[in-house]
Parts: sequence; structure tokens; C-alpha cells
Amino acid sequence: MAGSGVWAFAQPFSIQVIGLHALTGFIFIAVIGLHIANNFVPLKKYFKNRVVWLVIAITIALGALFYIQPPPIKAVLGLSGNLGPALDRFEMTEEGMKYDYVPSSSYKLSLDIRTGSTYSLENPPRLAVWLENQSFYHIKTLYASEAEDAKGMLPYWAFKVKGWEQAKEEAEKKGLDLNETVDAVSGATENGSFDPADYILPGETNSSMPYRVMIEINQPDDSSKKLKDQPSLIYQVEVDNYDPLAFQLLELVGYPAKEMNEENEEEWAIYYVDERFGSAMSLINSALLTIDRSP
Amino acid sequence: MFLTCKENLFFNHATLMADKKRAIADRRHFLQSSVLGAAGVGLAVSSSSSVAVAKTDEATIKPEVTNEVDVLVVGGGTAGTIAAIQAGRAGAKTLLVERNFQLGGATTTGGVAFPGLFDAWGKQVIAGIGWELVKESVELDGGKLPDFAKVPRSHWMNQVHVNQFVYAILAEEKCRDADVEIAYYEFPEAVVKTDAGWQVDCIGFGTRRRVKCKQIIDCTGGAEVVGMLGFERLREEERQPGSYLFQLGSSHDPASKQLHRLYVHGADSTNSRTATLANLTGRQSILAKVRKDKKRLMHLQPETGFRESYRIKGETLITVQDYTSGKLFDDAVSHAFYPVDLHTKTGVRPKPLKRGTVPSIPLGALVPKGSRNLIVAGRCVSSDRLANSGLRVQASCMGMGQAAAAAATLAVQGNTTPSEVPLAKIHGLLKKHGAIIPGKA
Repeated sequence: MAGSGVWAFAQPFSIQVIGLHALTGFIFIAVIGLHIANNFVPLKKYFKNRVVWLVIAITIALGALFYIQPPPIKAVLGLSGNLGPALDRFEMTEEGMKYDYVPSSSYKLSLDIRTGSTYSLENPPRLAVWLENQSFYHIKTLYASEAEDAKGMLPYWAFKVKGWEQAKEEAEKKGLDLNETVDAVSGATENGSFDPADYILPGETNSSMPYRVMIEINQPDDSSKKLKDQPSLIYQVEVDNYDPLAFQLLELVGYPAKEMNEENEEEWAIYYVDERFGSAMSLINSALLTIDRSP
Repeated sequence: MFLTCKENLFFNHATLMADKKRAIADRRHFLQSSVLGAAGVGLAVSSSSSVAVAKTDEATIKPEVTNEVDVLVVGGGTAGTIAAIQAGRAGAKTLLVERNFQLGGATTTGGVAFPGLFDAWGKQVIAGIGWELVKESVELDGGKLPDFAKVPRSHWMNQVHVNQFVYAILAEEKCRDADVEIAYYEFPEAVVKTDAGWQVDCIGFGTRRRVKCKQIIDCTGGAEVVGMLGFERLREEERQPGSYLFQLGSSHDPASKQLHRLYVHGADSTNSRTATLANLTGRQSILAKVRKDKKRLMHLQPETGFRESYRIKGETLITVQDYTSGKLFDDAVSHAFYPVDLHTKTGVRPKPLKRGTVPSIPLGALVPKGSRNLIVAGRCVSSDRLANSGLRVQASCMGMGQAAAAAATLAVQGNTTPSEVPLAKIHGLLKKHGAIIPGKA
């Protein structure tokens, strides 16, 4: 169980790891029950010892700290990108894909992607779902196809992840807070936080920052009349907890294209879709984001 | 008839509120007289705490310069510059009166040298003379124009960065080429209706100018001429903050690097007193920052960039529903495109328009209700506050300036008033000068 716990800390959003950890947890509880039943008389003697009560008190105090999550504890949890008792679930059906994310009982996020007429179940398209902060930095990948060619097929998502990892690396090297090292794209927008919890579960709704849910989808070898292989398409929606909406449809933004920026560095930009696109436009019928926020 | 008054100038809120009340009373007084004047006329500001200025009719109306023109453009800012060039190019004898020392307004004097937005959803929606000026400024400065086929990550990324100095001089050149006469350091003191149109007395230091014109285009930002004439204007109790632009620490690199900025809360361009207060407050805050950051002040714009003051009550009022739904008005003359962008004390949360939405501006929103031979352009467009927070940006104001001038010029030629000019004629003239007409692309 300790092993699966460490694994879950590093990979908190993997359903396999969480499932394994939950299973070992049940086994652990069963073993404890057997242990108590087997050693009931000697265990009673333990409670006469003050040290045992001290251990119990420390355990309760630590439990309360992790439940309340004051800033130092939150910082420790933040190292894993975890949001506390978060659980996510990705499900693929004939109708499409459903991603559920429940970071707390009062905040349930669900992304329902319905497949379109050109979606192939035999050779499903590559797909990535991620969150970006208000300065357009990747802050968390919610889902990415496990196929080996996913990064190449989903270049915009890969570019965003790379940018985020570079920023993290630079921050670690300099020993600075990430927000201090990554320049805002413009004076018009301050750098957003890089902690997903600040967006998804803001402590103060009035000071909450908007974030974007992004999808990149690409069907391999899908030609159109004017394109040998249609590039991936990007959909997005902006979520603003300050002005909360229960249902939001993701909108088609465009397709990514590689270019050189003013510093002569390679980057990916999004361009409006034009008449050259055909079947790629029908990979997704619609993508609905539902957020249930209970008070 | 002119007012005589005493005024103590103290820069505190209480005094300003009292001034506002007095100004309202003054305006009521004016409206009873045959000669209409600005609420602030006769008030004087000096370093002494109390100044009395007495005027006689004779002293006031004796001009040193007289002009007889077809179109008088008041205000040489974002909209006024374009309006003057359009009127001149369309053959109207045009005079442009500007109270400051250069053209461009918010783009140059305010330092908001990144006009936008000219595009929406991958296509250019505002072009014409404003775009021509912006494009040439960028090209002359060796800059780069945004690629409108590219999706901006955020709305402001397709603002066009111009060199404010180049822009101002190029605007003057284009006015000169269009035979537009420019009168800096002057502003209207009194406006009288005549059989042929208007008689406008302007004042500048050492200059009293009498202008006889057929049409007035009010591009003052706060619809000052409209207010002088007693037409209804709209204003909120609270103004959006202004922005004072400056550069601390490193040198200002025009058109490639954005300046630093700070909010000037309560910044109000309603009159010279409130504008003075805004500038004093803004500069004092910058000085405090210089002291705190211990960095050199490398650049400072001459004045605060103001976001709102008065808006006209026009024949048509653009509501935020009209704006966000992209309503195509029957008498649409230009486009607008920007999120609903209301700045508050705590900042701004722009509300982007829904995909595909491109708002339009009707001619009726440029015509003060019940007026003749008078039209406005710019941020004083007839609109509710939220719609105005999106309409007030530079590209939209340029589009309005060109449309207002086309209507005014055609009104001169047809001996009528702008709202009675056939819409097809306005569209035709605008198209001829490169503008994009809503619904006609």
C-alpha cells in the first residue's frame, strides 16, 4: 500500500494507480481487522500506556491538518499537482468520450465529447485535453492518448507541455517561484498561477482567475480534397468561476502551424480553419463542459 | 451672455463635486440664453487660489481669425483625425480644431499606441482611412502588422503597435494632403445656430477664431459641442479609471514594447478641472513609484488616457444586447469589435464576444437626438455603458470618424442634415475611400 501511495502521489490522475491504491487500502483494512481480532487481549493493555494516546493525538492532529490544508500542507500537496482527494475518470464509449473530474464534493467537472460522423472507432484519433492558465501556459494535462505518436500528432499540446516543463526547469534552476520567472505575454495580463487548484477550486471566487479547457484532436492520415493529411484541430472554452456557468460548449478555434517567432525560436500558433478542411471538422460532433458547483 | 464666476481650485473630491453642481447650474443658465456656451466658459485656472474673470460680449466675439468652411471637426483625436481627412478627401472645405498640440489623441498624447481591433474571426472588419494611417505608420517605422488569419490567443494580441510619434506626424501630413486646415491649442467657446449652419467661436492663446460652417463633427470624446448646444448627454456617477503610461528603468522603444501603466482612479475628462486633477494624481503616483523603485523615469506621456466621460443620447442607442448579439442595424455604417471591457477599481475582466459576432454601428447612434447639421464620432457614441466599454476602442472610433465625415460631407453637398442623406450614398462614399460596410462585404 505504501508503494501504491507513493506512486499515486507522483501520478495522482491515473485511474489505474488510484484503483490499485484503493484495493491495497481495502486489503490493509481487512488485515487490520484480522490483526485486532487475533490480538484483542494484549491490545487492550496498550491503551494503558500514555505513549499510545500521544501517538493517537498526533495522528488526529496530522489528519486534521491534511483535511483543513493550511498553506504549508497545501504547498506539499501542490508538489504532486494533486488537489487533495481528487479523482478523475476517463471513459470511452461508442458515442464518444467522457471525462469526469471531482476535486471536491462541491465541484464536479465533466467533459462530454460526442464523436462526429468521421470518427473511426477502429483507428481512433489522437486526443489531448488540458488546462491553460490566463497567460496561456499549460498547467495540467487531463487526458492524452497513450499512442506512441501522440506527441507528433498533437503538436500544439506537445508544444504547450514543453513550454511548461521548460519554465518549471528554469524556475528550479534559479530557485525562484515559477510566477517570477515566466514573463507575462503582455502587460495587459498578469501572470496567472500555475497551481491548478487556484483555478479549479479558488478559495475566493472574487479573486478567481479564468482558465481554459483545451482539446486537440487529430485523425491520422485523413486527407481532404486540398490537404494530404489534415492537421489537428483545437477546441477551447474559457471557464471563469467569477462568472460561473453550468454548461459550456467548447468551440473550434483553429489548427496549429509551426512558425518562427521574433527571437527566431520555433513555436506553434493557431490559425483559423479555412475551406481546405473537410472530414477533420466532423471528428467531434460537440464537446460539452459541465461544472456542478454546489455551495 | 457669458458667466462671471469665482472659483477656488482645490484638488479634493469635495471641491470637485461642488464644481460639478455649479457646472450643471451654469449649463442650465446657458440654455436660457440665445448664445450657447460651454459650462466652463469664463472659468479660469491659475496658480492663485481665486480668480475672477469678467467678459463682455464685445471682447469675446471680436475674432482675430475667421474661417468659412463646409465642415468643422472639433477634436483631432482618434476619430477626429480620420473624420477630417475623410471630409477633406471628399471635397469638403474642412477645419480641424484640436485643443492639444498634436493629432492622434489617445493613440499619441495618451500613449495607447496600439490601436485595435481591425479584425474579427480571421477577417478584417474595419479598414478605410484609419487602417491606411495605421498601416503606413507601421510600414514607415519598419514594424510588423498582425496576421489576421492567425487566431489571437487573447483579443489584445491583434492590436497594431504603432510608433506614436510617426503616427502623429503622418496624420498631419494626410490632413495637409486632404487640404484640411489644422488649428492647435484651440477649442470652441460658443456655438450659435445660423441660417447656413453654425457660427462657432473658438479660443486659443493669443487667438480668437470665428468659424462659420455648415456641419459640425464633434469628436471631442465627451461630446463637448453637443453639451454646449444643450442636447441630452449620458454620464455615469462613477467613471472607469484612466491609464497613465510611462516607462521606468529602461528606455522606451516605441511600437515594439508596451509602456508601463497605472490606473488613475476617478480619471474624468469632463472638463479642464477634472482632467487637471487626473493628470496631477497620475503623475504624483508615478513619482511615488520612481521613489519606491529607485529607477529612472525614462518616458512619460503628456496626459492620462481617459476611458469615459459623456456619451450622447442619439437617435439610436446601442445597447449591450445589440452589441453582444452583433445586431446588424438597418443604417449600419461601420463595424466595431472588442470584448465588453469595463474597467473597475479592481481591474478588468473582458467578456469576449461569441464566435462569429461582429457588432455594427448605426448612423443614428452618431446623431444627437433632435439635432440637425451635427454629428459625433468616437467614444461619445450613443450607447449604454457596457456597450460603450467595447465601442470606445480606437479602430471602432476610426470607423465612426470616417462614417460621420462621409455623412456630414454628403449633407453639405445635398444641403441637408447627416441623418437625411440617403444611406446608399454614404455607403458609396465610404466604399470609395476603402471602408468596410457592415452587411455589404
